[in-house]
Amino acid sequence: MFRRNGVAGERALANCAKCNLRKSNSLSRPWILLLLTLVLPGCGKGNKAGTNEIAVGVVLPITGREAKPGQFQREGIELAIQQINQNGGILVRDLDKKLPVKEVFYDDGSDQAKSAGLVERAMTSDNVVAVLGGYSTALGEAESVMPDRYQTPWITTGAAASTIFSRGYQYIFGTLSPTDLLGYTTAEFLGSLVDHGQLQKGLKLALALENTDHGVDYGKGIGKWIEEHPGYFAVAFSEKFDLGSTDFSGLLQKVKNARADIFLADAHLQDYITMHRQYMQTGMYHEMISYGARGPESDARKALGDATNYIFAGIWWSVKLPYPQVKKFAADYQASVGRPPDSWYPATAYDAMRALGTAIEQAGSLNKTAIRDHLRTVELKDSLLPGQVLRFGQNGQIHTPFVIVQNEPQDKVDIVYPLDAATGEAIAPKPR
Amino acid sequence: MSATDLLNLLIAALLLAGVYAVMSVGMTIIYGVMKIVNLAHAGFLMLGAYFVYELYTRLGIDPLLGVFLAFPVFFFIGMAVHRILVRRIPTSDQPTLTSLLLLFGLWLVLQNLGYLVWGNSDRAILTPRTLEVLEVGPMGFPTVRLVVFAVALGALAGLEFVLHKTWFGRAVRALMQNSDAGRIVGINVDRTARVAFGVGIAFSGAAGGLLAMLYSFSPDFGGPFLLRAFVIIVLGGLESFAGVAVGSLILALVETFSILALPASYQPAIAFSLLVVALVALPGGVAGLWNRRPRLA
Repeated sequence: MFRRNGVAGERALANCAKCNLRKSNSLSRPWILLLLTLVLPGCGKGNKAGTNEIAVGVVLPITGREAKPGQFQREGIELAIQQINQNGGILVRDLDKKLPVKEVFYDDGSDQAKSAGLVERAMTSDNVVAVLGGYSTALGEAESVMPDRYQTPWITTGAAASTIFSRGYQYIFGTLSPTDLLGYTTAEFLGSLVDHGQLQKGLKLALALENTDHGVDYGKGIGKWIEEHPGYFAVAFSEKFDLGSTDFSGLLQKVKNARADIFLADAHLQDYITMHRQYMQTGMYHEMISYGARGPESDARKALGDATNYIFAGIWWSVKLPYPQVKKFAADYQASVGRPPDSWYPATAYDAMRALGTAIEQAGSLNKTAIRDHLRTVELKDSLLPGQVLRFGQNGQIHTPFVIVQNEPQDKVDIVYPLDAATGEAIAPKPR
Repeated sequence: MSATDLLNLLIAALLLAGVYAVMSVGMTIIYGVMKIVNLAHAGFLMLGAYFVYELYTRLGIDPLLGVFLAFPVFFFIGMAVHRILVRRIPTSDQPTLTSLLLLFGLWLVLQNLGYLVWGNSDRAILTPRTLEVLEVGPMGFPTVRLVVFAVALGALAGLEFVLHKTWFGRAVRALMQNSDAGRIVGINVDRTARVAFGVGIAFSGAAGGLLAMLYSFSPDFGGPFLLRAFVIIVLGGLESFAGVAVGSLILALVETFSILALPASYQPAIAFSLLVVALVALPGGVAGLWNRRPRLA
C-alpha cells in the first residue's frame, strides 16, 4: 500500500516507524493488530489526501478573545483557496497533475495550549503539507515550536514578535513584518515630517510601551532609527506598562512630567481606549500621538469619538493602498463574505496562502522539506502588502514596509506614509 | 513632582478606590453569608457592563440610570442562580472545592454566552461626560470617575444602612458571625442566603455598569477586576464591609503612588505582593487589626 502511494506513502510508513511498529518484536500479536487498526487508518487517510488533494492545515481562533481577527484571517485564506481551486488547483510536477487544495481547519479558541496541540494534530494525524495560522503573537509563539519538530512548514499570518523568528527554527515563516520595523517606520515617518518642516528638529519623545515582546520590539525600532539619525529626536521618557491595566493615571502623570513633545505608546485595543480616555482627561497636549498599530479601529472611534482625530498608526496593510491587486482583492472579499475587509487581517492571510501555493508549485512535489526550501525563495510579485512584493527573509519573516495612517474628522482615515502610497497629507503638528 | 501633581494623583487614587470598593462588595456579601468565593463575579461584571451598554445604545437610557436599573435586574438574576445552582452546594463554614468549581464553570458559561450574543468586539460607552474634566483650581476631577465614585459611595452607604437598620441586614450580619447560632435564634438561613446572594450579584451587575462607563469591554471583561477584588477582600478581612472600603483605598493608593518609584509594569506585582503580605501578616485583614486593638477597661 505504501509503495503504491509514492512519497506520501513513504512518509506514512515513516510515521508508523515512529510509532515503533516495525520494532515492536516484544509486542504480542493481538496488540499489534489493535495498534494497526488504530494507526493505519490515519496513515491511509493522509496518503489519500496527499495524492488526490493538497491538505493544508489552518489553525486560527474563531471563538474566544481573538475570534474576530481569527475569523477575518480564515476568510482571507479561504478566499485564496477558493481562487486557487477555481483555476484548477496547484500543479504538482512529480504527480504530473493539478491538485485542489483542501483546508483542514481547527479553531483553537484563543487558547495557547490548544493552539499548539491542534497544529501538532494537523501535522501528524492529518498529514498536511503545511499549516497556516497563529494569530496573535501569544498563540503564534505557542505554535512555533511544532514546525521543526514535525518538519512541516508553518506560516503565521498574525504573529510578528521577533522572538518567534530568532530561535533558529527552519520551518517557520510569517507574513507580518516585524514589530521593530513598526517602531522604526513610526520614527521614520516623524523624521519625514521634520524634513518637510512640519515638525521641529530635536523634539522630545515620551514612550509608553506594553510589557510584551511586541512593546519591547516597538521601542527597539524607534531607538534604532533615532540612533541612526542623530539630532532628530531624543527620548525623554520610556516606560513599560502591564497589559489590561485598570488605571494609567500614575503613568500618564510621569508622561506629563517628562514634558515631551510627542507621545508614542504601543498598546492593545482595550488599553489604547482606557489610556487615551485618561490622557484626554489630564488635558495633556502633544504635537503627535500614536498607539503603535492601533488608531483607526472602528471600535476605538466609537469609544473615543473625536478624541481619536489626528492619532496616527503604523499598520501592515490598508485597503486604501493604491494597487490594482488590492482593489481586486477588496472586491473579491466583499463578494465572498458580504462585507469589506476590516483592517489588515484578511490580507496577510490571503497572501500567506498564495505564497504557499506558489512554493508548492515551484517545489513540484508535496515533499514538505522541498516546499520549505521553495518558501525560502518564493517571490509573490503581485502581493497585496506595501511594496507589492512578498518574500521571506532569512529568519522566515517578511520585511514589507508599514503604512502610516492618520485619523481625521468624520471618521476619515488617510494613508500618509510612505508618500508613494499616500492618499492624503499628514496633519502635523496635531491641532489643539 | 509638584504638590499639585501629587494632589491630582491622590484624587486619582481616591476615585479608583471608589471603583474598587463597589466591585468588591458583592463578593464580600456572598462570602460572608455563604462562605462561597464567587468566581463567577467577573462574569456578572461583564453582564452588567453589557446590560448598561444595551440600555444606552438601544433605548437611549443614560448609563447612570442603567446602573440603578441593573440593581433590581441582577438581584433577581442572582436569586435565580441561587435557586437553580448555588443552593445545591453542600453548606460549609469554609469555601469548598465544589463551590469553586461550580462558580468557575458558571463564569465560563457566562463568558461564552457573551461571545455568542455580542461577539468579541470591544464595546465602550461614550457620553458627553466621558472625557469631561471638572477643574477646581489646579486640580482636575474627571467627571465620569467622580460620578462613579459618588454612586459607589451611595451604594456602600445604602448597604451599610440595610445591614444595620433592617431585619434582613441584622440576619446577614448574624449569619456572617455564626450561621448555627443564627439558625437557633430563628433566622431562615436558606432565604437569607438566597437574598444575600441576590444582593451580591446585584452589586456585581451594577459595578459592571459603572466600570463600563470607564473602560472598554468584551466578554473577556472582568478578569483583572476579579483578581483585584480578591486582594481587596483579603486585605479587608473577608467579611467586613468597612474592611472592603479600607482595602480598596490601600490598593488604589499603593498602585497609584508606587508608580512614582517603580515602573508601571510592576503594578500587578505590587497588588499581588500586597495579597501575600496580607495573608501572611494580617490573616484577618485590616478589620482583624482593628478588632485586635487594646481595649480600655
